[in-house]
Amino acid sequence: MERWALVSGLRGDLDLYEQIQSDLQKRRGTAHLFILGDMIGPHPKCDALLKRLCQPKRGDLHPHCIYGWLEEQLLSLYGYRGEAKADELQLQSDDSGVQQLRQAVDTEHLNWLASLQFGLIELDCGLIHGSSADVGDELQETTSPLILLDRLTRLDVNRLFTARSGRQFRLQLTGGQIRSRVKDHASEQLHEQPVPKRSVIGVGSGANYTLYDPASDHIEFLSVASRSGPSNRIKGFQR
Amino acid sequence: MTMSHAVISCLHANLAACEAVLADIDQQGIDTITCLGDLVGYGPQPNEVIELVRERSIPTCQGCWDEDIIDGLNACECSYPSQLAERRGHRAHHWAAERITEDNKVFLASLPMTLRRDRLLFVHGSPNSQHEYLLPDMSAFAALERVETAGAETLFCGHTHQPYVRELSEGSIRVSVQTNGNHNDSEQAMTLPMRRIINAGSVGEPRHGSTKATYVVHDDDSGAVSVVKWSTTSPKPVKPSLRRDYPRCSPGV
Repeated sequence: MERWALVSGLRGDLDLYEQIQSDLQKRRGTAHLFILGDMIGPHPKCDALLKRLCQPKRGDLHPHCIYGWLEEQLLSLYGYRGEAKADELQLQSDDSGVQQLRQAVDTEHLNWLASLQFGLIELDCGLIHGSSADVGDELQETTSPLILLDRLTRLDVNRLFTARSGRQFRLQLTGGQIRSRVKDHASEQLHEQPVPKRSVIGVGSGANYTLYDPASDHIEFLSVASRSGPSNRIKGFQR
Repeated sequence: MTMSHAVISCLHANLAACEAVLADIDQQGIDTITCLGDLVGYGPQPNEVIELVRERSIPTCQGCWDEDIIDGLNACECSYPSQLAERRGHRAHHWAAERITEDNKVFLASLPMTLRRDRLLFVHGSPNSQHEYLLPDMSAFAALERVETAGAETLFCGHTHQPYVRELSEGSIRVSVQTNGNHNDSEQAMTLPMRRIINAGSVGEPRHGSTKATYVVHDDDSGAVSVVKWSTTSPKPVKPSLRRDYPRCSPGV
């Protein structure tokens, strides 16, 4: 079985995407590229990146994209999310940051962004930007194991790949249990539930990405040297 | 003297059942009552039930049916157990939406999603949503997460129409963490707190295997949960005058 590459947080940086594609070509045996959201950002090459994702160049590993927090915010700004109004972006950024995000993404890309899935299930793995609870959920290695187990349970997967925190980590649930006593009108039941052997994997963001081999369950955290200029370092968009 | 309070839920416009349960609570000398919502839906007397709750100033959370009547059908995203149940639900919705007064709709819209008293949390479905079912057999870890993340020790809920008391205890989780740049996995362990979920069942439309209304009595002082109590009074049948244009979607009709 061939490996998966898991990327997130390109934030409109086409050069960075090309570096990752180039890096993947050097590493043989990688067959699938998953981009876990935050493709867009206030970057001058954002439109070019979106075009490249929709129409890969010959030799590119074909990207499977899902939407992330930034796409959710942008789509809210354009009324694609009902009454939601990108309040989180307004809080974290400011009006100028919101404007820059609008300007970076041509409206011709909106329908494509709106068509993207919240997450993907591949084999027994969930691939998602935030978590099964929310696209903005920031899971990391210091998050309460109880919450991590809940996010795994909601998707009923053995491995949850997440990107929102930007962290690269693998947290494995290795043991433990809980006692549940349920009393209803008919009976009283006592049940010991063991902690399932499951994992949450942070794939990183931007130049940091992750390779995963489903056959061996091996994880490799990688990084390409970023050539990004200061253009995407705008308040509210750093991670 | 102990300080007990009663929790009722899912009244569903069944005035006869509400009156019977409140009389039963009054008879026990309990004057603190909390309602977990779903005042309307299914039953034939939505306005009367809302007005009873308002008259008695019973603190009440908004249920999924209460939201549904305000925000339109399917605002409640709860799944129905069958197509028949779904058709019944839709008929009941349209019937109730036409009859509930504007003043009562304003009242339903004003209800809070949650009520909190110290470490006791009162919700209709779960702390996340009025629509989430906390069933007695859901993952114990996920159930604990709902209570713990909400900062509660005891969570009172309804929505399932099946009363139960669930105690989650003696929990622990061990983890192994690997991070980028650190080749040695670190091992950690977390001890989980003991928490309770108490489902009050339903006053107006019980689904626990009999037509008897259910509610819960909880002792505030000791923190102990008493057994879920069933009203000894079965709901009275609805008056013939109320049956005229009423869709057959409620017990007792």
